[in-house]
Amino acid sequence: MAVPAVRIAACGCLPPLGDAAATHAALLRGERALRPVPVRGREGGDPVPLALVADRALDETMPPAWLPTLAELWRRVPGDGWGSPRRPVFVTGSNFGVGGLYALRRNGDREFARWGAPPTCTEELRQALGWGRDVSILSHACVSAHLGLLEATRLLAAGIADEVLVFSFDFLSPFVAGGFHALKILNSDFPAPFRERATGAIGLGDGAAFAVLTRDRGEWRLEDQTLYNEMHHFTANRPDGSGFDACLGGLGPAARGRRLWYKGHGTGTLEAGRMEVAAVGRAFPEAPITGWKGSLGHTLGSCGLVELALAVAAIRAGWAPGAIGTGDPMGPRVATTAFATAAYDGVICASNAFGGAHAAFLLAHA
Amino acid sequence: MPDPLSARLKQLIVETLRLEDIEPEAIPDNEPLVGGGLSLDSIDALELVVRLEREFGLKISSSEEARVALSSVAALTSFVRERGDPAKLPA
Repeated sequence: MAVPAVRIAACGCLPPLGDAAATHAALLRGERALRPVPVRGREGGDPVPLALVADRALDETMPPAWLPTLAELWRRVPGDGWGSPRRPVFVTGSNFGVGGLYALRRNGDREFARWGAPPTCTEELRQALGWGRDVSILSHACVSAHLGLLEATRLLAAGIADEVLVFSFDFLSPFVAGGFHALKILNSDFPAPFRERATGAIGLGDGAAFAVLTRDRGEWRLEDQTLYNEMHHFTANRPDGSGFDACLGGLGPAARGRRLWYKGHGTGTLEAGRMEVAAVGRAFPEAPITGWKGSLGHTLGSCGLVELALAVAAIRAGWAPGAIGTGDPMGPRVATTAFATAAYDGVICASNAFGGAHAAFLLAHA
Repeated sequence: MPDPLSARLKQLIVETLRLEDIEPEAIPDNEPLVGGGLSLDSIDALELVVRLEREFGLKISSSEEARVALSSVAALTSFVRERGDPAKLPA
């Protein structure tokens, strides 16, 4: 089903390197937000690459130490009346305050339960930020933000809402880091997305971002969006990479005739990285491929929106940062250094998730 | 005479993954553990890795290393013998 184009009236993000403009500038300088942090926080464990917002330790606190970051992000959202029927809010993420449940188990303090599950976490947030009751939760692992954008688009297209705020966040905790560490994809190595090497590794990062979607107001347009679910396996993609093809193929009509660059998912795992590069080569053979999780880590459910704001910052500044930490790339189209965006009509931003979930959108000037 | 470590690993696989209908000695030495006749998946592999690390005091540092170690019982036996704490290996 074709997804109608929709405008972005405003967007922003607050990963650990600062707002979108500051983070974009840091990426151009090749800075890494990732630092070695003991995987179980104050209880120690292997040092793993994590990017945490300033003044925050990995361990969960009450109230959450990440709440000021969300409050700061909220101050940057224009307009008022959010959470009303014509201006609903979609909260998207993959973990919400799940670290609080681990903290509850460790210390027995039931206050942590208030932020522990998506509904309670979102209700606490709704009250803290002063939203109305029209707040919905959308969560689909690491394509959560894309799902929020798509559902917001559908509301606008149906005339049910005038503007929609998609608000996305994921903050790390020992619970989340420990899970990826148990899978052995988060280890002591730093990630090098789209780089050929013997073993893969990811980093994880705090992420928070928003976008205000409208039908007809705003400097940017989501020309098309696509979601594809392989339903193949709990964690793995189909080995032939056909899930990537199916997702990118959904953007065909909107992409036709355009000169595009590609902001990939690229967490640093080898198989998925190779599949993604190969699929982009088939669908958009001229597009340079970049990705920024080598600096910011994988911001999980928020990554689609964080990287949308960074893509906007890149086009505004005229330079797209190359893939951080990526020598010996997986193919000639992988950009290891910054490139000028003036030669392109738009960018495809893609994310992938456990279970073979794939999402992408085509972003361009309106 | 079966290799004591190999026999222990087969028993550990059955215990950890609660493979109630499978006798440890029926697990072949050279067939793939994940995606083979045992129908183990990646979550089973995760459980096995955690158990192996605890039981034998070893460390598996990446998913690629885990894949090699779990490619078969024979490969797992070699891996544990090479990386495990000698004091924790069966005599």
